[in-house]
Amino acid sequence: MKTLSLKSLSKTYFDLYAGSHHTALHDISLDVPAGEFVAIVGPSGCGKSTILNMVAGFIAPSGGEILVGGEPVRGPGADRGVVFQSFALFPWKTVLENVGFGPKMRGVPKAERDEIARDYLGLVGLAHAADRYPNELSGGMQQRVGVVRALANEPDILLMDEPFASVDAQTRMTLQEELTRIWEDRRPTVVFITHDVPEAVFLANRVVVLSKGRILEQVEVPLARPRVWDRLVEDDAFKSLSNKVLALVRAA
Amino acid sequence: MNAALVLWSWCLRTSAKWPVLQTLAPFVPVVALWWAVAAWGPFPPAFFPSPMDVVRAFGSLVYRGILPEYLGDSIARLAAGAAVGMALGIPLGLLIGLSRRAYTALWPILLFFQAIGDIAWLPILIIWFGFGMTTMTVIIVYTVLFPVVLNTVLGVRSVRVELYRAAQSLGATPARVLTEVVIPGALPNVITGLRNGLGYGWRALIAAEMIVGTSGIGFLMFDARRAGSVVEIVLGMIVLGILWYIVDAWVLAPIERATGRRWGLVTQ
Repeated sequence: MKTLSLKSLSKTYFDLYAGSHHTALHDISLDVPAGEFVAIVGPSGCGKSTILNMVAGFIAPSGGEILVGGEPVRGPGADRGVVFQSFALFPWKTVLENVGFGPKMRGVPKAERDEIARDYLGLVGLAHAADRYPNELSGGMQQRVGVVRALANEPDILLMDEPFASVDAQTRMTLQEELTRIWEDRRPTVVFITHDVPEAVFLANRVVVLSKGRILEQVEVPLARPRVWDRLVEDDAFKSLSNKVLALVRAA
Repeated sequence: MNAALVLWSWCLRTSAKWPVLQTLAPFVPVVALWWAVAAWGPFPPAFFPSPMDVVRAFGSLVYRGILPEYLGDSIARLAAGAAVGMALGIPLGLLIGLSRRAYTALWPILLFFQAIGDIAWLPILIIWFGFGMTTMTVIIVYTVLFPVVLNTVLGVRSVRVELYRAAQSLGATPARVLTEVVIPGALPNVITGLRNGLGYGWRALIAAEMIVGTSGIGFLMFDARRAGSVVEIVLGMIVLGILWYIVDAWVLAPIERATGRRWGLVTQ
């Protein structure tokens, strides 16, 4: 596990139609200690996915610096695992091959990486689906595969870009509980992007509210773990934290 | 009425059990009509042979060894041309699909030469290479190449950006991204390109054999014209149809089913 720190990060796009520069992110500074779960929330277009894409190394910042364990980020790397909103599973690989992809790139022999993949699939109750292709699975199952594919590569930091936004409400709650359980068990460093405030409060240790490319406020979430929806739905502390963050997002 | 229904349902059940019948059934009325017209007799048999004449000609040509030999020649030429066409076309398509510079430089040239149909090359190829194997091979390679290149480019460009990103975030080097993401992602399109390319190549081959050939199905048909043997011309046409059906249904379609369709990349 490594720490992540963003130092005065900014991103400027050239808007071809307006013919002028558009600043998506201004002066973002954020420290995520090793083993912390941070959620970034904000309305559409606030720049939250841009932050994640820069940390993942998919796009370059216009200014500032991103440090992972003290080392500056230069492009994508296996130290930062990514879970995508669109799942981004390889359609031509079976579930087992998808989860074993990271170990395969590290040169782990087939028998060993299959075992690793099976272990991780067991973690989300998908051991039975190992030999199926992604398009044969439901959305919720596909995203479980997406999550364990990132985990099986043992990244220092897990980056999740609205991972549960495209599954139905019931499945989403199950996935949130599974993710919490995995996090409580293994304590990876997580940056979780979402526009769903209760989701952010349910999952995170800290919620960062983003507005118009700036950090508006950071809210600590001291709720006890393990967290399960049945208990938190009626929990006053959860409700008041959610309402507080919601008010910030709505004001954003 | 009731008897007709019973007969119809029997036909449906039997053809479902034997897929070969399903393929052959549509030809029953075609052959029946052909036979009826030949038997009715508005045309002389030498001018409009009946199905039985063609079957007899088939037997005779097989017996004399001409048909098997010519068929083998045509198939070998197509296979060789297709192999070279793929060996050139797939890497070229990957290059153009991946590199913006290669795309800018080569795409207009590709479209220009695609417009010059295979047969349009014959006059100059005959001057360069004469009547023979080289000319025919060039024509087939040329014909197979374009559909393969164009579809490979499309295939590479159809791979979603998140898949590249996912592979890179899981530690894939550029070479591994090529073998694990780009090539399998483009494969369904490559197969479509190959399917089209072989179809065009087959037609181009027959045309080339008619003009520059000394053997092959196209030569057989053109030679029969010289001898005034309509029955052999018709036989050649039927062999072409059957052969293509076999290649498409037994070789290309199963490959397509095993890849793109299984992966959910191609609609049924």
